[in-house]
Amino acid sequence: MKTMKQFLRGIAAVLGFLMLTNMQAMATNVYVSAAASLKEALNEMVDKYATKHPGVTIQKNFGASGALAGQIEQGAPADIFIAASTDWIDYLMSKPLLDAKTRTDFAYNALVFAGATTKKVGGMNDLVKLNRIAIGSPKSVPAGDYAMESMKNAGVDQKLAAKLVMAKDVRECLTYAEMGEVDGAFVYRTDAMQAKKAKILFVVPEKLHSRVVYPMALTLSGATNGDAKAFFVWMMKSSDAKSILKKYGFILM
Amino acid sequence: MNLSPEDITAILLSLKIAVTATLLSLPIGFATAWLMVFRHFRFKVLLEVLINLPLTLPPVVIGYFLLLFFGRNGWGGAMLRAAGVEFIFTWKAAVVASATVGFPLLVRSIRLGMESIDRQLLQASRSLGASWYDTLFTVVLPLSLRGMIAGSSLMFARSLGEFGATIIVAGNIPGVTQTIPLAIYDYASSPTGTSMALSLCGVSVALSVIILLLHEVIGKQLETRREA
Amino acid sequence: MKLSIDIQKRLGSFDLAMQSAIEGDHSGIFGASGSGKSTLVHMISGLMTPDSGELYLDDVCLYSSRKRVNLAPEKRRIAIVFQHARLFPHLGVKANLLFGYKRCHPEHRKISPEALIEVLNLGHLMKRGVNKLSGGEKQRVALGRAVLANPRLLVMDEPLSALDDSLRYQIIPYLRSVSEEFGVPYLFISHSISEMQLMTDQVMVVSQGRIAGISTPDQLARAGMASNPKGYLNLLRLNGAAEKNSLFHYPWGSGELIISDGKTGEESLFELSSRDIILFKQHPEAISARNLLECTVTELFDSDGRKGVVLESGGKTLVAEIVRSAAEELEISTGNTLFAAIKASAFRRLG
Repeated sequence: MKTMKQFLRGIAAVLGFLMLTNMQAMATNVYVSAAASLKEALNEMVDKYATKHPGVTIQKNFGASGALAGQIEQGAPADIFIAASTDWIDYLMSKPLLDAKTRTDFAYNALVFAGATTKKVGGMNDLVKLNRIAIGSPKSVPAGDYAMESMKNAGVDQKLAAKLVMAKDVRECLTYAEMGEVDGAFVYRTDAMQAKKAKILFVVPEKLHSRVVYPMALTLSGATNGDAKAFFVWMMKSSDAKSILKKYGFILM
Repeated sequence: MNLSPEDITAILLSLKIAVTATLLSLPIGFATAWLMVFRHFRFKVLLEVLINLPLTLPPVVIGYFLLLFFGRNGWGGAMLRAAGVEFIFTWKAAVVASATVGFPLLVRSIRLGMESIDRQLLQASRSLGASWYDTLFTVVLPLSLRGMIAGSSLMFARSLGEFGATIIVAGNIPGVTQTIPLAIYDYASSPTGTSMALSLCGVSVALSVIILLLHEVIGKQLETRREA
Repeated sequence: MKLSIDIQKRLGSFDLAMQSAIEGDHSGIFGASGSGKSTLVHMISGLMTPDSGELYLDDVCLYSSRKRVNLAPEKRRIAIVFQHARLFPHLGVKANLLFGYKRCHPEHRKISPEALIEVLNLGHLMKRGVNKLSGGEKQRVALGRAVLANPRLLVMDEPLSALDDSLRYQIIPYLRSVSEEFGVPYLFISHSISEMQLMTDQVMVVSQGRIAGISTPDQLARAGMASNPKGYLNLLRLNGAAEKNSLFHYPWGSGELIISDGKTGEESLFELSSRDIILFKQHPEAISARNLLECTVTELFDSDGRKGVVLESGGKTLVAEIVRSAAEELEISTGNTLFAAIKASAFRRLG
């Protein structure tokens, strides 16, 4: 009987703790879904914004642009959406789930091939020498899509087909390359700059793929959220935001 | 039903991996079950816990441990590389992932079957001139068949659905390690892939139903053959 | 066959220490349940290892803690017939029978399967699966299987206990004939004195983990007469009955026995309790009992307050049981002539 009481008390304590920690989450007023490659830059931006606007809580959700678009379509909370390609913004626009008036290009990036391999790799044709190459799954990761596009245009896609390891987003690609599980990966230059062991082996020629652009927009729910609109404008226009982007290697217009 | 050539590859790959994992695990599973049922030794409890561990651990954890062991910096990985064998991110890794995850199911079923074997039959066998390994193959094995088939079906089915460990240690490589669950995951990550995902899901369900039916049928046949 | 035993074993609170030797081709081990006879049998056959001691079978050392010998069961060539047949369910009758035979070294194979199948009358069962056999059939197959392994010693561990009476006494002739026909000595274990009387020539008596002694089945029966609710059971094999007025007349020695529950045309085994024999000092003129035999007292023995009277009549022997006071009253002593009265219904036909 005594142990039963203690047990129940313990459960109550745990539940109470969980409720308390949840309380904080319930105070979020801005949800941002952004492409995985924006992780560090956006984290720093949110921290910077928070020091100036302490009453606002911003919840970040990073992932492959396609996956995020799917989530928003299914009803996941999002006020601001930043994708790594126009495809996924267009997709949500067509539903329509985004406020078309607010669509703008946030930043640009370059596609590179990075890896820890010791083999000599200077261009797309050298890739056939490698065993395994990580790319984001083209069905949902723009970086993978750009990579496939590049491989097709370079004429090496058939030869590389069996070497491709699908990653769920560009960060996973980078991890694979860092760990040495693959010889190299198609990532953005901004990701490669974060790498410790993987080095940029070559920059993928821009003519091989469409421009890597990060369009962003407010969602329909975001358009009615004052805090979201304020943050959106800050990201677009403020010098703080721009300097953070430059710091991480993103290209601005 | 909407299946691309890559999907067919994924299905065939899934089957290949499941069959290989099951066949490889059977002898080890049989030996392990025999050890647990008929032998007594210290720290048996430890072995028991070890065997059942994959049942309770999240598959990704199992995958991670396999990666640690067989990866670049692991013991197993070093040995395999010395032998010139590629392992991580190949279908072999997928086989090991499936085998590890399904092993406790296999052993459990075989054990159940073995435990129901009358010990006096084994005594009779010994007294008639059969050594312990003779008895193992001529008495224990035939009488464990039902458990082995049950265990194999479970393991095969589990293998077809294996995701967590597989994606960590074998990766998602279309045509090489992308099994049905991994292919569905790929489709599911993209909002435009739902109908394709559904088709593969349908195949998955159909395969499971077939296995379960086969399991029932074979089980019944064994029973009736024994009655005759 | 000679079996030398000197072993010790401790199982929980049960303590076993046995030293003895038994010789002969038809030997038995007798004891109540829990006396340790099963444990002894397991140790003789190698299915259990003693804590210490020695076991010899005909100069072959089966076990010796001193010499560190412990022959594996499959090497001892001691085949066992268990209480419950324990036939292999995944094999048919034929495969079961040949299981031990196949594993027997060709130089030891003296018994031919065909001959054995004939003796045990198993021909019509050969194609069957073992699950469709009756209890008696199963036991016969089990016996055949054990014998076909060509063992040095056949151990029968209460092989009849699971069978009902009529079946039990039908199987006994098979047990004996197989052993005699093929020259396989056996060790017959049971808690039934009647079975001992029919199967064995000498018996090792086991009690509470010790060997109480070696005796003959007859001595055993006599010793147990007072405590056995049926007294001393006289076992009679009779044949050639002639039926008259629904009674059966069997020739017996130089006389005859009249039995209610008889059978013509075949040999039957009858059991007659020593307590069902009434003794008269003088010939009673008129008596309802159909059997009145003139006998001579050849021996008297004591059994716990009762007196056993061994009677000889027409060349045959019967044991009667009376209370001591009756013996004193009638002043019975060896050499006396007495009349034994037995009702026709007192004979119980066993099989």
